[in-house]
Amino acid sequence: MSEPPSRILVVDDEFGMREGCRRILSAEGYEVATAADGLAGLELFTEGGPFDAALVDLRMPRMGGLELIEKLHELDPDTVILVVTAYATIDTAVEATKRGAYNYIPKPFTPDELLIPVRNGLERRTLTIEARRWHEERERRLLEVAFERSKCSTVINCMTDGVLVVNRERQVVLRNNAAAHVLPDCAGLPLPSPLEGLQCAPVRDVLAEALGASSGPMIVSREVGIGKSTYMVNASPVFEPGGEVLGGVAVLRDITALKKLEVAKSMFVSMVAHEIKSPMAAIEGYLNVILSGIAGEDAERDRHMLERALLRARMLRSLVSELLNLTAIETGAFVIKRVPLDIGSVAAMAIEACQEKAGAKDITLTCRDDESGERPVLADRDAMLSVITNLIDNAIKYTLAGGHVGVVVERNGMYAKVIVKDDGIGMTPEERDHAFDEFYRAKNEQTADVPGTGLGLTLVKRLVDIHQGTITVDSAPDKGSTFAVRIPTV
Amino acid sequence: MTGDVPLILVVDDDHDFLVMTRRVLESAGYAVACATSPCEALDTMAQAKPDLVITDLMMRALDSGFSFARKIKSDARFADVPVLLITAVASRLGYDFTPDKVDDLAEMHVDGFFEKPVLPNELLAQVEALIGLPVQEGKP
Repeated sequence: MSEPPSRILVVDDEFGMREGCRRILSAEGYEVATAADGLAGLELFTEGGPFDAALVDLRMPRMGGLELIEKLHELDPDTVILVVTAYATIDTAVEATKRGAYNYIPKPFTPDELLIPVRNGLERRTLTIEARRWHEERERRLLEVAFERSKCSTVINCMTDGVLVVNRERQVVLRNNAAAHVLPDCAGLPLPSPLEGLQCAPVRDVLAEALGASSGPMIVSREVGIGKSTYMVNASPVFEPGGEVLGGVAVLRDITALKKLEVAKSMFVSMVAHEIKSPMAAIEGYLNVILSGIAGEDAERDRHMLERALLRARMLRSLVSELLNLTAIETGAFVIKRVPLDIGSVAAMAIEACQEKAGAKDITLTCRDDESGERPVLADRDAMLSVITNLIDNAIKYTLAGGHVGVVVERNGMYAKVIVKDDGIGMTPEERDHAFDEFYRAKNEQTADVPGTGLGLTLVKRLVDIHQGTITVDSAPDKGSTFAVRIPTV
Repeated sequence: MTGDVPLILVVDDDHDFLVMTRRVLESAGYAVACATSPCEALDTMAQAKPDLVITDLMMRALDSGFSFARKIKSDARFADVPVLLITAVASRLGYDFTPDKVDDLAEMHVDGFFEKPVLPNELLAQVEALIGLPVQEGKP
């Protein structure tokens, strides 16, 4: 036996009695300590403990047995206390038991008469302790289970996806808050309740289908419209370790936003397709007319048509590169290097680049720099050049011959402001509101001949946006337009 | 003798389409007027009634060609004017505008439908079928 021997305290004022007990008990393998009176017994118990059992005489000097029993019991309720007395009466026995004694041994006794109650007592003690340990263990387990359960149910309830669980009897046994929210009729269902009680047929169907799984894991998925939202419902069977279907779990995910994105994406693709197809049709149309020879020999008119076709082809090419730039910005692949930059010098470069175009249309292009590099902006040079050039280019396009396009650079609080103002054909309020929309182009008699991709201003706005800047436009038909870009300074 | 030359009104917000269509039609001897929007076209029609209208489908709005055609057909003055619809995009956003049957054309209030680009010969053949050839000046 690897267990240490049980320790027994013998308290008796009679030397012969103490020694007699010690011998009998030691011979049985117990470890025995003795004390000659109640007080000494108490001291020994406190200092030399713990003891598994105590044999206590009732009549002792200094502290009587009953008092000692009470104290020992208080100190260690697990210690088995046996009263050893020559005055065994019912009354004292009852009294001793009340104070915590387990049994009593009347004097005189044979070794067996001593050993049997001691063994029984110790056994009882072991059982008591074990039972208590089991009990504690069980309590702990229960607590753990309860905690795990509540944790699990908290997690399930906090999920943004709806969760429905059915057992193999086709009864709904669990629904989380999100599911109750998505399927209002299921919120009031008592659990468990038949799956057929669910009003949403598609959800019912996917769960039923999952329950019908014959073997192996599977996922039944269906898009379901509920109210104004679209949900992806995924149901899977739950298997027993033996392989039998135990039930099914359905997860309802709101994919409304995804669906909207999908629609927006296909609309964009469709718009791009249209924007590409129109110039292609124009180019092909011109070539058809020329090649058919139907229009007769008119070199000058043919040349004009070829020039138009070439222009459309060029616009098509810039459309494609602008699309690529836009995509690059949107996917974050567009690398900008923000450095302290004199925006006035960038504006001057842009004006230089546009001077020829302006001259060809007899448009005066002027620049005024009130900022003169006093406070640099934090921006990408190429991006800023592209923004200002685009705006000037646009202004020239929509200004009639003999008009004026002016660029002004000035301070505006923590921003540098670049203003591009023209006295051209201007925009109606509706046109102005859509000026930055993809592929939006003002279409009227005056703009019919103006080439453009409809992406220039969209690109400008995106570039300004990624610099945490702002762009505004003020315009009136026949009065002209004013674009103002604000870029944060260093 | 301009009164004898059939007048064709071409409506499109694509400048180049107006240029090339005018070229084709004029080469065949028709008189051509152009408009860049249904609105402008209706103004022009009020001044001189055309013998044929050729219109783009998608101008400002997705279906502006359709509503323009409907307007023409429901106007007592122009109900007899044939309308030819020409578009670069016959289907868009899930809509499919391509007519399958002759009945579809009537539903769309048009007398003919083409996808851009139209071959000059095909366009002229369709125009001739609808309004006949122009009487050549200087010929009997």
